[in-house]
Formats: sequence, C-alpha cells, structure tokens
Amino acid sequence: MTENSSSLLSWIIFTPLLFGILLLCLPKKFEQYFRHLALVAGMANLLFAIKLWSNFDGAISTMQFVQSIPWIPKLGISYLLGVDGISLPLVMLTAIITPIAILGTWPHDLSKLKQEKFFVLMVLALQTGMYGTFLASDIFLFYFFWEIVLIPMFFLIGIWGGAERIYATIKFFLYTMVGSLLMLVAIWWMIYRYKQGFGVPSASFADLARVQYNFVDESWMKAIFSEQGLLFLAFTLAFVIKVPMVPFHTWLPDAHVQAPTLGSVFLAAVLLKLGTYGLMRISMPMFPEAAYYFSMMMMGFGVIGVVYGAFCAWGQSDFKKLVAYSSVSHMGYILVGLFSFNQVAIAGSLYQMINHGISSAGLFMVVGFLYERLHTRNLDDFGNIAKVAPLMAIGFMILTLSSVALPGTNGFVGEFTILFGTFQAQPAVALIAGLGVIFGAIYALKAYQRVMFGPLTNDHNKNVVDLSVREFLAMGVLAIFIFGIGFFPGSFFGKSDTTLSVYSQQLIEKVIHE
Amino acid sequence: MNSAISLVEIFPLPSLSLAEMISLWPLIILSITAVVAIVAGASKVVARGRMLAMIISLFGVAVSTTITYISLSYDPVNLLNGTLFFDSTSRLLSLVVHLCTILAILVNFGYDEKEELLAEVYGLLPIALAGMIFMIATNHLLFMFVSLEIMSLAIYVMVAMRRTFKFSAEAGLKYFILGGLASAFLLYGSALVYGATGSFNMEVISQSFVRGISPLFYVGLLFVLTGLFFKVGAFPFHSWIPDVYQGATTSITGFMGAAVKLTAFMALTKVCLNMIFVPSFLEVDIFKFVIGTIAAATIVYGNFVALKQNELKRMLAYSTIAHTGYLLLGLLSLNGTPTNAQFIMIYLVLYAFSNIGIFALIVMLERKGERDIVIEELGGFWLKHPLMAISMTIFLLSMAGIPLTSGFIGKYLLFAAAVSSQQVALVVLAVLASVVSVYYYLRVIIAMFMKEAPKGQAMLTASKWAGCGITVLVSIFITIQMGIFPII
Repeated sequence: MTENSSSLLSWIIFTPLLFGILLLCLPKKFEQYFRHLALVAGMANLLFAIKLWSNFDGAISTMQFVQSIPWIPKLGISYLLGVDGISLPLVMLTAIITPIAILGTWPHDLSKLKQEKFFVLMVLALQTGMYGTFLASDIFLFYFFWEIVLIPMFFLIGIWGGAERIYATIKFFLYTMVGSLLMLVAIWWMIYRYKQGFGVPSASFADLARVQYNFVDESWMKAIFSEQGLLFLAFTLAFVIKVPMVPFHTWLPDAHVQAPTLGSVFLAAVLLKLGTYGLMRISMPMFPEAAYYFSMMMMGFGVIGVVYGAFCAWGQSDFKKLVAYSSVSHMGYILVGLFSFNQVAIAGSLYQMINHGISSAGLFMVVGFLYERLHTRNLDDFGNIAKVAPLMAIGFMILTLSSVALPGTNGFVGEFTILFGTFQAQPAVALIAGLGVIFGAIYALKAYQRVMFGPLTNDHNKNVVDLSVREFLAMGVLAIFIFGIGFFPGSFFGKSDTTLSVYSQQLIEKVIHE
Repeated sequence: MNSAISLVEIFPLPSLSLAEMISLWPLIILSITAVVAIVAGASKVVARGRMLAMIISLFGVAVSTTITYISLSYDPVNLLNGTLFFDSTSRLLSLVVHLCTILAILVNFGYDEKEELLAEVYGLLPIALAGMIFMIATNHLLFMFVSLEIMSLAIYVMVAMRRTFKFSAEAGLKYFILGGLASAFLLYGSALVYGATGSFNMEVISQSFVRGISPLFYVGLLFVLTGLFFKVGAFPFHSWIPDVYQGATTSITGFMGAAVKLTAFMALTKVCLNMIFVPSFLEVDIFKFVIGTIAAATIVYGNFVALKQNELKRMLAYSTIAHTGYLLLGLLSLNGTPTNAQFIMIYLVLYAFSNIGIFALIVMLERKGERDIVIEELGGFWLKHPLMAISMTIFLLSMAGIPLTSGFIGKYLLFAAAVSSQQVALVVLAVLASVVSVYYYLRVIIAMFMKEAPKGQAMLTASKWAGCGITVLVSIFITIQMGIFPII
C-alpha cells in the first residue's frame, strides 16, 4: 500500500481551495474574470483527475494512491486518502462536470454580477468538500468533508437563489444535519467499539470494517434495536436523506428550484451521489447482515421513489421542479440496484450514478438556459422554441433520450444493468421498477414537447437566442459522454470492474450462507 | 540570633520551594494589580485615570500570565495540605483564564468610555481572575466557597456597571441575590458533607466511602451540586442567565460566558470526580440519574427557548444554557473513566474563545442606550462589514459544532466520550437538540448574508476599536486552528 503513496489525491482535493486563496487576493475590479479563475481551477483539477485515471490500476481492488498522515493520533484519526474503483468514476464525474457546469452557466450579463467573489469562492469550496468526501478513507475525514459540503451549498442557495431561497436553504441544511448528526453518533459508537475490541483507536474504514457488530434477525423489532441494526439505520438515514429517498425527499424540489443554476447542477450531478456513495462505502459493506435484512424495505422505498418521482414529475408545471422530481425517480433505481445484492445490479448502480450525474447536469443547464433568456420556468410559457433555437433543441433532445434510457445513450447502460441484475434477484421489484422507465418516458417527452414544440403562445419566445459558443461547448461535451458511455460502456467503466466484482462477492458472501 | 530563632518558633513559616513560589506569585501579583488599578483609576492626579488603570491592569495580568506560562514546566505543587494543588492541568486552565481576562480587558478598551464604565472594572477583573485561579487549584470545599465568592463579588459589580443601560442594575441585583442564595447552598452543603465525612478536602472525602457513609452526605452533596448547577446555569437554576446576559455590561458578558463558566464547571467536575464517580460510592446511579435528567432538561430547554428569541444577546444566553447541558452530559462520561475530564476541559476552553470572540463583536456593534441588537437588524450586514460578518459566522458555526471550527472538535470529543460510557440515548437527544441550535445560529447568518437591511432604520454601524479587533482575531485564530489541527 505504501509503495504507490502519493500526494495526487491531496492535490485534487485542495487545488480548488488554493485557487480560492488566490481569488481572495484579487481586487474587486477584476470581478468579471473571477469565473475564468473558477474555470481554470476546474480545468487544473480535470488534469489531475486525468492523471489519476491514467495511472489507476484497474486490476487492483484495494485502495490506490493512498496517502496517510496522522492527524489526531490520540483518537486514531488520520488524514487517510485513497481511491478505488468505486470512488474513481465519481471523482472523474466531479472533475468533468465542474468545468462544464461553469461554462454552461456563464452569466450573460457580466454587469449584473452579485457578490461574484463570494460566489466563486463558495463554488470552489464546494468542490473541495465533494472531492474530499469521495476520497476519504477515514470515517472522521469523511464526515468532516461531508459536513463541509453543506456550508457552501447553504450560501449558494441562500444568497443567489430564487424568491423562496431562505426557506429552501434552511430546509436543505436542517434535513441534512438531522441525518448527519445521527450518523455522527454511530461513528462515535464504531470508533469506541473498535478501541474496545482491538485496544488501539482507529477511524479508518478498513479497520472499522473488521469489527463484528451484533445482529439479531429474529424479529423486526430485535433487528432494528440490535447494535448493527441501529448503526445501519443511523448511517442509512443520513445517506438516504441526501440521495434523496422518498419520503425524505421533500427538501430536494425546494432546494433545486430555488438554487442558482450552477448550484442545481452540482446538487443534482454530484451532491446526490454522496448519499449513494455513502451507502456503497459504509452502510452495506460494514453492516452487511443488517443491510441484507432491510434490503427488501430499502428496495421497496427505492421502487416507490422511482414511480412516485415519475408521477410527481409528470404533474409539474414548473420545468425545474420537473427535473428535480426526475432526479428522485432516477436515484430510486440506484437504491433498488444496490440493495438487490446482485453483482450485476450493484455495478449498474455505480453506472447509474455517473449517468444520472451527466444527464441531470445537462437538464438543469437547459432549464438555466431558458431561464436566463425568458426569466420563467413555467412550462406553459414555453413553446415552439425548437424553431428559434435548434441547437438547444438538439441538446435537450439528447439529454431527454439519455434520461428516458434509450439504447445507445448512457441512461440505458445504467438502468438496464440495474433492472437486469435485480430481475435475477427480485423479479417483482424489477418489474415495478421497469414500469418506471415507461413513466419516465412519459414525463420527459411531455416536457420536451411542451418546451420545444407546441403552439407559440408567448411572444417573447420568438426572440430566444440560440446557444452561445460556451453553452454549445458544454452541451457538446455532455453529448459526447452520453453517446460514448452508451456505445462503449466498457472503456469508461472498465477500471472499476475488479473493484466492483470483489466488492460484491465479499458482500454477498457475508450475507448469503447457503 | 536568639530573637531570630524565637520568631520562627512563633510563626513557623513554611519554606517555599521555587515551584511553590512560582505557583503563588500570580495570585500575589493579581491582588497588587487590582489595588493599584483601582487607586489609579480613582485618582484625580492623572487626567485619564481610566486609561492608566487599564494599562496597569493589562500589565499586571500579562506578568501574571507569563509567570503562569513559565510555571507549566515545573513540578506539581501541593500547598496547605492539599488545599491548593497546582499541577499541569490546573496551570493550563489558569493560563486559559488569564488569556480570557486579557481579552476581556482589551474588549473594555473603548467600550468603557462609550458606556461610561467606572475605572474600577480594571481592578475588578484581576480580582475575579485571582478567585478563578484559586477555584481551579483548590480541592477544598471551603476554599471553593471562598474563591467562588471572590470571583462572584467582582462579577456582580461588573455586571451592574453599564450605567447607560437601565436593565444593567436590575441584572446585577438579580445575579447578586440569586448568586448569594446559590453560595449559601454551596456553603451549607459543604457543612453537611463535613459533618458526614469529617473533612472539607475532596481527596479525603473520596476515600471515606469505603467506611460507609451517613445519609447526611447525600443531602450535603445535593446542596453542593445545587450551588454549582446554579453557577453553571443548569436547567431549573438557569433563570438568571438570560436577564444577566442581556443586562450586563456586554464586555463582561463574554467574560462570564467564557471564564466564569469554565471555572465553575471545573469545580463541578472536581466535585463529580471526587464525590460521585468514585468506585466505592454505591449510590452512584441515583446521582447519575439526577445529572442525566438535568442535562437532558437543560439541553432541551436551552435550545428550544433560544429558538424564540429575537435579541442577539438573549439568544446567546439561552444557547449558553444549552451548552451547559452538553457539558453536564459530558460529566456522565466521568463514570469509571476519570480521564474523560480532559474532554470537558477542552470543550470549555474552546467554547470560551468562541464566546469571547462573539461578544467582542457585539460590543463593537452595540449602540449606546436602551435597545439591544435584534437579529433582523443585522440584515445586509455582510455587505457593509464583510470581515465582521465572516467572523461572526465563524463563531456561530463553531457554537453550532460545524466542522472546520473548534466547536466541532469540542463536541466531537465530549460526545464521543459520552458514547463510550454508554450514554447513547442522551447523546442522541443532544445531537437532535443541536439540530435545533443550528437553526437559531443560522438565523443570524441568514440575516447577515441573505436579508436586506430593515427599512426605515439606521443600519448598525460598527465601532472599530483596536482592543475588540485583537480579541476577535485571537479568538478566530484559536477557533480555526483548533478546528483543523486540534492539539489534544
């Protein structure tokens, strides 16, 4: 492990912060160039991420690029970073989405900037938090970054958001806090148990996973109140709030609708993945028996999310809310896939995380394009925009197809793999979830039809400007990824294969004793 | 020659070693400083007596701080048969209260003129500090009472000193009367404990359980606890806190929330360690239940009432009650593992600096006269005073226990200790209640960053006093530094 020790991961995490410090030193008169700085920071990180990608050894299932520095030795806490096949795609997703999102949400009118320095600073801080959460291999460090993500998001929604922004941002913050504080109690218990069992304190994932947590599966009550059951539920609650799983999803539509476009893009593309990543990294491998015991319940919630999210999206007249609910629906698949305890479906869940990240980022950007031009999000106000903005129509079409999981797009890869795997384990669940694909097509095509075609009711729509070069570039890169993953999934996810198969084998071995 | 011998026979002076001397010198210096500062402040010789008093006081406390710092490397000292015990822990804590006092003196600078404070405040602060050092060092119930009085009497006066504010005198009187009652409880309890065990020395008392103990002891212990619960502001004895925090001289409020709380809580910790959580004490469960209940009630009460406050100082007063609750919960972790006391200490120290920092900011903001700062008035503050708004945010996030700040580390250590002594249910209650606390801390941040200034009102203007600025900077440094690279 120590042989390939390197500081590359630290560079990935702290590069945005370094640019943030640089930004603080710049005077206000360069205000209109602050976005450029953010873009440069994003590109720099992308370079680091590409280096990580090319040096990553796909044949190894354990953590690579490990960096370990004692931090609070008395409590066994260390600054421990590592990347494996599960976190690698998510880091890449973050690295790719960041410059795209900054390009795609570039303000049209640079004279109307509002507290630009603080905005860019928050965007940079958000990135540090996201990379940190994906790369931490120490549970304290994980929690540290997990919480740090909240603060920039809180300001992004609260300062630059819509009319109801304060309500939305408080709801977002408190919802997440409830979950994460209960998770913190569970973390304390795990560290205590490790110290009790092994004598020395440690907080690393690898060490904590070695503790045997008691589990009793005689009845529901006993399962819930056994040690492992409580730990599983505490962690899982924190993660599913972030995913979000129905019925803990109500913060999401508010946060998305009120957030500025850039905030929405990060929220949908990366922040939601923190939740599913947590499930995959902590909830399932550390408490496998409890996870297996509650798997039907979790899949049930997942399926409900798929169908409920789709129906809610169908009923929305607010375009942004529609996309937000579609996130609830798509994230439901990931829950189903993970808790089916099937090797194929677990892999599919990871694919779906990436694919949803790409397509939802694009969809929120489209909402942003339209809002920037027409200052409305109401579906009734749109119509026949395809005629005046054909490039936007094409971009939106590609994203819609990805969202409805058309074969040849990335959406198909994720959802099909999940459904295929789940069908082997739980055919009934897969059937209902499969219906979700149909509902998904209904609302997505409805949105497309209402926005791009339909009667021209609003005179403003005649003058909609088509995509700018920057926006076109952002859309183009997304389209490349959509079709690239759709046609050649192996070349994008190949590096995760070993990790995923070892991960699921170990997981399934632990719970299925036949 | 003969006379010299006879003198020693009449007054058998103990010969003090260097370590003993160096432990006592701060107390001597502080007492002299107090007297000189008061005289200097009252004298008409110099035109600006107040300024002179401040400089004398600052100098005296600084010298005393230096000596305390030097004394850190000396051996533990046991004076007067264990009445005063200076070891590295008590010296470190005494260093922290020294720092708090220096910061409090600095905060007063500038504010004193605006609020027409008397120069005596610079004499009273060293007196209170001397009382605190006593209290931190003593293991003796009677000395604890005396040092508590030395500290409190100075504080009562300082609370009532803000003469431009009509609630100030009321706050001082209220604090005085209720504080007197609490002290009486403490004294009476000590007497009963003495009756039951035959000693005031807690070390001796902790060993007397082996022989069996008379029921008188329980009553005495409850009285002692009551007195101390009052001083730290635990739930049924909290009623003075909001009024005193609001009415008091703001520069002193920060000092109270930091240093007084730290000292009183250390006394409480000592009582718990030596008189409750002793292996041979059989009735420990009853007292665990009492402390647990009070902790839970304090946490819930403090957090939920703070939710409804509109005035900044009052909100912070209720939030300090909630923090007392967390600390009481931490007391339960002493059961069986006395080393957990260090986590209570760390929490107190870290909280002290956030508290001093935030009150220094409020001092800079406050208007002369009747009204207090209402949270809504902070609207648009971020655009007008970005640095102060960010400082305030850091302190609030620290109090809310968000990572990157010392408050998170403090809470982490305290609750982790409580979890490892099986107090999971109470910890869950505490963290859920602290979600509530996040809400009211966020309210201030939201007002500063996300709301417009209220219409038809003059915006808050900050006085830029160097003393407050230094205090805020020092507090921020400690808050961030301990939040990222904690030294424990």
